[in-house]
Amino acid sequence: MRPGFRMTIGADRREIAKVNAAFAEFADAHALPASVRRSMHVVLDELLSNTIVYGFAGREGGEVTVEAVLRTDRVCVTLTDDGRPFDPFGRAVPDTALPVEERRIGGLGIHLVRHMMDEVSYHRRADRNVVVLVKRLRAR
Amino acid sequence: MDIATRTRNDVTIVAFGGSLDSKTSPQAQQALDGILAGGGRKLLIDFTALDYISSAGLRVLLATAKRLSGVGSALRLFGLNETVREVFQISGFSAIFAVFATEADAIEGL
Repeated sequence: MRPGFRMTIGADRREIAKVNAAFAEFADAHALPASVRRSMHVVLDELLSNTIVYGFAGREGGEVTVEAVLRTDRVCVTLTDDGRPFDPFGRAVPDTALPVEERRIGGLGIHLVRHMMDEVSYHRRADRNVVVLVKRLRAR
Repeated sequence: MDIATRTRNDVTIVAFGGSLDSKTSPQAQQALDGILAGGGRKLLIDFTALDYISSAGLRVLLATAKRLSGVGSALRLFGLNETVREVFQISGFSAIFAVFATEADAIEGL
């Protein structure tokens, strides 16, 4: 079995900290580079808060399963939720060249996710949103 | 998250430690709002002990920058680690904010 962890959280923003704590422990146990751990913290915060705030809006409950797997040269994290169908990567890219006054922050989180991960993908499968994130482990 | 505030002459230095994300950004916003409400116009943000920042944290910085524009005011940052710098670059924040390596560099000419 490959090293990793799997956990399920409820539709509560405070639960994101639990996922980040679990990932930090996993990163520590396998001596992952700090930059990989930090990038994944940023990305988990962006995607999980999006799902919890928008994906589960207007309903009670909801859950997200987080699964992290360590492979030889990469970390793969899969986020599965039963919220409304939503492809986080199907949105327009924000204009980051605009001056402060004209800047709207909206899609910035997803923009960070795309750039901080090496691969991202989205599938709608069995009434669930499935987002797969890949971060390669490069030499420090 | 840890927030520590100190002053050097008319400059307020706010140090954020830990993470600046969806969970902690309201606390950070509150601290910065308090400084602005107290009349602080020259602000240095110390990220030396900051592990990472997400878009929720960037939003706090942007809101503070918008409120701090005008004569005699300044907002500068220093001590960004590799990941925080990367987030600044990707988001275009490197072009908006004055980012320095150390406190001494950041405070010079303020």
